[in-house]
Amino acid sequence: MTHPILPVAGPRESRAWLGAQLRARPGGTGGTLVVGLFAAATAIVPAYALGLLVDRVRAGGGTDALVPVAVVIVAAAVVGGVATGVSAHLIRRLGAGILADLRERALDTALRLPAAVLDRAGRGDLVSRVGADVSAIDRAVTEVLPTLISALLLAAISLGTMIGIDWRLGLAGAVAVPLHVLGLRWYLPRAAPAYAAERVAIAQRSQQFVESVQGIRTVHAYRLEDRHLAGITAVSARARDISTSVFALYTRFVGRIHGAELAGLGAVLAVGFLLVRRDAVTLGEVSAAALLLHRLFGPVLHLMVTFDKAQDAGASLARLVGVLGTDPEGRGGGTAPTAHDLVLTGVGFSYDGTTPVLRDVSLRVGSGQVVALVGSTGAGKTTVASIAAGALRPGHGTATLGGVPVNELPARTVALVSQETHVFAGPLDEDLRLARPHATPEELTAALARVGALTWVLALPEGLGTVVGEGGHPLTPAQAQQLALARVVLLDPAVVVLDEATAEAGSAGARDLEQAAAAALAGRTALVVAHRLTQAVAADHIIVMDHGEIVESGPHADLVGAGASYARLWAAWTARAADGPGPPRTDAAAGPVVGSGDPPVPQRRQVRRDGPPLTAQRE
Amino acid sequence: MSKISAGTVILRRAVARNGRRLWSGTALAGVYQLCAALVPILIGVIVDRGVATGDLTALLVWIAVLAAVYLVLAVTYRFGARRLQRAIAEEGHQLRVELAARILHPRVLRAERHTGDLLAVTTTDAEYTSYLLDHIPRITSALVAVTVSAVALLLISPPLGLTVLVAIPVVLAVLNRTAPLIARRVKEQQDQAGRATALATDLVTGLRALRGIGAQDAAVERYHRVSRHALAATLRASRTQNAYLGASTMLSALLSGGIALMAGWFALTGRITVGQFITVIGSAQFLVEPFGVLAVVPGWTAAARAAAERVAAVVGADVVLPPGAAAPRSGGHELRLTDVTYGPLAGLRLHVRGGEFVGVVARRPADAEALARLLAVPDGHTGDVLLGGERLEAVDRGRARQVLHSEPHRTDLFTGTLASNIALRDDGGRHDDDGRHDDGRLDEALRAAAVAEVAHLHPEGLRMPVTERGANLSGGQRQRVALARALLAAPPLLVLHDPTTAVDAVTERAVADGIRALRHGSDAGYGTVVITTSPTLLAATDRVVFIGDGAVAAEGTHAELVGHDDSYRRTVLR
Repeated sequence: MTHPILPVAGPRESRAWLGAQLRARPGGTGGTLVVGLFAAATAIVPAYALGLLVDRVRAGGGTDALVPVAVVIVAAAVVGGVATGVSAHLIRRLGAGILADLRERALDTALRLPAAVLDRAGRGDLVSRVGADVSAIDRAVTEVLPTLISALLLAAISLGTMIGIDWRLGLAGAVAVPLHVLGLRWYLPRAAPAYAAERVAIAQRSQQFVESVQGIRTVHAYRLEDRHLAGITAVSARARDISTSVFALYTRFVGRIHGAELAGLGAVLAVGFLLVRRDAVTLGEVSAAALLLHRLFGPVLHLMVTFDKAQDAGASLARLVGVLGTDPEGRGGGTAPTAHDLVLTGVGFSYDGTTPVLRDVSLRVGSGQVVALVGSTGAGKTTVASIAAGALRPGHGTATLGGVPVNELPARTVALVSQETHVFAGPLDEDLRLARPHATPEELTAALARVGALTWVLALPEGLGTVVGEGGHPLTPAQAQQLALARVVLLDPAVVVLDEATAEAGSAGARDLEQAAAAALAGRTALVVAHRLTQAVAADHIIVMDHGEIVESGPHADLVGAGASYARLWAAWTARAADGPGPPRTDAAAGPVVGSGDPPVPQRRQVRRDGPPLTAQRE
Repeated sequence: MSKISAGTVILRRAVARNGRRLWSGTALAGVYQLCAALVPILIGVIVDRGVATGDLTALLVWIAVLAAVYLVLAVTYRFGARRLQRAIAEEGHQLRVELAARILHPRVLRAERHTGDLLAVTTTDAEYTSYLLDHIPRITSALVAVTVSAVALLLISPPLGLTVLVAIPVVLAVLNRTAPLIARRVKEQQDQAGRATALATDLVTGLRALRGIGAQDAAVERYHRVSRHALAATLRASRTQNAYLGASTMLSALLSGGIALMAGWFALTGRITVGQFITVIGSAQFLVEPFGVLAVVPGWTAAARAAAERVAAVVGADVVLPPGAAAPRSGGHELRLTDVTYGPLAGLRLHVRGGEFVGVVARRPADAEALARLLAVPDGHTGDVLLGGERLEAVDRGRARQVLHSEPHRTDLFTGTLASNIALRDDGGRHDDDGRHDDGRLDEALRAAAVAEVAHLHPEGLRMPVTERGANLSGGQRQRVALARALLAAPPLLVLHDPTTAVDAVTERAVADGIRALRHGSDAGYGTVVITTSPTLLAATDRVVFIGDGAVAAEGTHAELVGHDDSYRRTVLR
């Protein structure tokens, strides 16, 4: 359950990917490196030049010795400033460019993941990859990468210069290097799990909080304030304690770095002492080496500290590169079928490979026909709908449209409106244009009018331009359903699979939605999952499912006449006033109710007379 | 300073209640800075007294001094930083808890804020406020470092020291003039990046809808556009930030170079020694950092203050309901609304006697919404909402909600299990000494709400995990879970609002019978109000009240109303 189903790239894979990206940008990579080295070199010139000045002072030179040093220092400052700025910009440009490509490709792949993979993985994982992980890398590219690279280059150049002064001085300064490495090797393996635990604790803290706030009505209704507050307090305290222990670890790490600094500085001064005594180097050269080393302390500490942030970004990178490694769904850009009859033959399906959800389901929706799927919860209707729309592949059997397997159809041939509605965040017209990117405003209003949504859309604060969805103007579930239907109208597919499109709306809203659905389906081949039996009444043909199998099929009148399971459903559906105030039965559980009692005949007749005029509208 | 703002109060309290850790940590941080400032000075001394003279004893003594300074530096850093971090973490935690307590206030926070905003206040703003405890020691220790270095420089050479003390602040002040421009560019970049992230998240969340209409290409193209905008903004921000970086690098190099050259001139002319010369070079290099801290910290503190103001706005926000203390009169499980005007409701009268099962049908969905909302949070209405003869808003909140439970239509579930979501209040059976009896009640509630079959579909039954907000359950399953928990809570008066919109016809019938059996059986004295247009549910009620345009249009049994009232028939017609 906690195992990530989406793949995560291994370190080697991530590095290979990054290497390929860098090689694909030879100019950018090379230029960044050259300018970076140049900037680091100019940064150490003053210390070196001043070291020389120390010797002049000792030699009792005149003030004219100052001039060349001054020229060098001023020139290095000016050129070095420019180079530093340009270098940091180049690093960031390179990183940001690679990141932009990465996030675009990751999203592209994510949106084409097979539905089965997505169902198993859960959307949360994918959402956090395209969201939080991209942000984490972005932050690293902005804050960590430039300092990391410039500190590394500076350290390399400084050590190189010290070796250039005298290899023994260089070696003395380099004593600090293994100590730093030891410090890191002590710290990173301890820090990584600690930081991971901290992130989990912080995520739990926000999850608890979000749930409490979003469910505030329920919290209030059940007087759960104290309990939820206690829960939030507990997770917040845990996050605090973990942060504190992580920080204690960090301070011990910094202590090791302090030790490394002292060792390096002491070694340079001691070796310098010996070398000066032997006249191998001048006092100025020793001063220059010590100053170079001291100047490194700040950037190197920064470098050490950013290592774990870089590690974080590396983890995020692995998760994104992992997404790129998945096989997207292969929509064969295949041939558009000439006929539009949807046929399922002997379809079997199982989500987990053991429990069959569908067994030997065969059905046919003739071109232009409407077929309704009926059955109680768990009967397998949604699975049939998903297979018919090509979102799931059947385990056994075939699903074809005009003889072409549905998963090889060109995109946009079959539309599936699922139970879950989603209003895309942004202006409402942008939402609709997902279905038809270049739709004119007239086309949009026509589609909205067709599904009966134009009135309320025009009444929104800014009409079609109103920002809806997450963070925007809230829409009711029924309005969201209408938008989904309007998208179908704009898409104009040959075949529509409609899955419980009227569920969340309440009776009054449901009637409007049924009409909207009927309007959207007009002239198309349609498979409709019907919870409200009025949708079934209106269909050309009804298929009744139970426990993954088709138990009955035929037109409404025949099925009602047959007196089998559909007739029982219909009886429950039409049960009304005749029952009087309160049904007599108190053994109210599940199943038996269905079988007990056909409604009186006059009742049924009345229902038929009152039945909604959907059939007429569809013709 | 005329009036102290609420944010300032929050900040002052943060300082006061973390005083011990803050001030001891600050003192330690000051010592740490002092030691750090001594290091370049000591380098000069060691070169001067040890390396230059070839005196081994002097070298060893002074290196020992350097080691001692490093020891103090390391120890003070470790303990100072830990203290300060503890103070910051503790303050952030306390602020979060206070914020949560306010947001969850039983008498309902009056706030038109989005969840996202509230979340931002409890995370980012609480944290930024607590960072004040980081700013104080930073400023203090920067002042210490500047003072020590300045004293050292002044002792070596007064003109040199004065130049340093004047030149560094001037240069930093010049550099800081560009801060607003950089902040603007960075914000623009963050906004654009945030937009790209939000779009990606939104598209993946709506993936089923996208896939259903084969709109992945259109979505990818849209994301591409936004991603490229974000990239352009990043590069714009990078140019500004790095132009600043270049300029500041250049200026500080000129500054420390200039000071060193000046010191070099003094050394060449014999006014200072070689060792002093080296000390000046090191100190000038070192001083740039604490001066930099002094230059930017006012900006941070402004951010902490702004965050504190936002925290204060939530902590100090009003609550909607008055602190009611009344109790419903004895035996009063009776609900009466007289001439209630609230939103679209105009002069509504409604009377529910104890033990009655009443259906409420509203021709306009908004009326139903308003009624459900009013019974949950009785505020902003005229007329009387009486519970047991007492005004509902005047009744003690705990008591009121215990007697009158209004189940929200939009079902909110919490991470946990099916069981933990149904037995939301473990004390549901407080009056029963016998645990088994509770199980019985649980079973009854599960059966009545037709949850048993949801549980049976899962191998773990009632222990089936429920993910965040119940996302792993279908709409119909969520509704049934909500109904079961309401039935298990067994309030004397239960208000249900469209409880079965997402369940199938057979189940709905079972639910209607279940509610009737559980709450209105032979010995039950419960009252139930179901706001719905479902004929299946309405057929199970004792009596139906039909609301036309915000007021009662008709009353009677469901059968009577179906028979005689056209408007009613049209409203409940399937």
